[in-house]
Amino acid sequence: MMSFVWGAIGIIAFIVVAPAMQWMARRTARPLSPTIVLAIAAVLSHVASTILGAMTVPQFQYWNAASVFSFGVMSYVFAFGAVYKSVSLEILLDVTERPGRESSLAEVVEHRIPDVFLGRTKILVESGLAEHIGPTFAPTAAGRKLAGRITRLRRLFAIGDTGLYDFSD
Amino acid sequence: MDIVPGPAQAVAICLSVALPLLLFVVARATNVRGAGRTFRIGVGLATASFVLACLFLPGERHFDDVLAGALLLATGILLSYVFWSLLAWGFTLTLLTSLVQAGRPMTSDEWATAYMRGGNLGTFARNRLKLLLGSGMVASSDGRLVATAKGTMVAGVVRLIRFVTGLGHAP
Repeated sequence: MMSFVWGAIGIIAFIVVAPAMQWMARRTARPLSPTIVLAIAAVLSHVASTILGAMTVPQFQYWNAASVFSFGVMSYVFAFGAVYKSVSLEILLDVTERPGRESSLAEVVEHRIPDVFLGRTKILVESGLAEHIGPTFAPTAAGRKLAGRITRLRRLFAIGDTGLYDFSD
Repeated sequence: MDIVPGPAQAVAICLSVALPLLLFVVARATNVRGAGRTFRIGVGLATASFVLACLFLPGERHFDDVLAGALLLATGILLSYVFWSLLAWGFTLTLLTSLVQAGRPMTSDEWATAYMRGGNLGTFARNRLKLLLGSGMVASSDGRLVATAKGTMVAGVVRLIRFVTGLGHAP
């Protein structure tokens, strides 16, 4: 059971370290992607908690500790991913921030969604997957390569390429 | 330190690794349509296989082995879902694929039209809003959107998670 406890200690270390690292990463000249920061924080806290567990528990069961740690960290990553870039939640946050917690459909369609769209095009340009050519956008070689992989994976798993939720699903 | 996984743990690790293959089989070998339904069936098959393995594998079952196995399988499912949802519903990735499929440089408006297959961003907005309306987080009438008590609570939780994970300010 002590191995499970060391897995839980690893989660606590991760929960403390990850936001601190995100905060520091945002203040560097070339900020790392939040996902990479999370991965580094997970590796550091797992290695540290495993070493300390192995040193203090005579019969340290690695997979017992790893199971608790990996489930805790994945739950964190899942919640992080949901709040980081979810368009639906961005709309919800926008509505709740307005007086009376209400907005018009036209406001969402004409302003909020175009803002989200422009934000995502900016991300693609900043990450080197798309580029500005005058007033237009074009994919870079890296963008074409990634898009090709995504399209092949979607075909492999028979996933449509609209990116829309299928509510009959 | 013992680094050899127990029998249930080994089954869970194998099932987690095999989950993409299961999803491929469900998507290809059945008439199931819809990324969400495919994923749910794949996860159901993996979970059922784990339960059957715990019941019928030879040898004595240990509680810690089964518990750790269940947690490892849950981790594998969550990890697969993160990639699956990006592939199926990822906005930014679909923007990129639509830009590449267009085969020519596009203005911002043309890109939005290409993304929506000739439609406009209103269709996309309504699609994302359906999720909020269907889950009871937002109510709609006469072109107005109002956050419900549930939606306000969820928004508070989202702000809290953003703060705790280092993505936002204090709620």
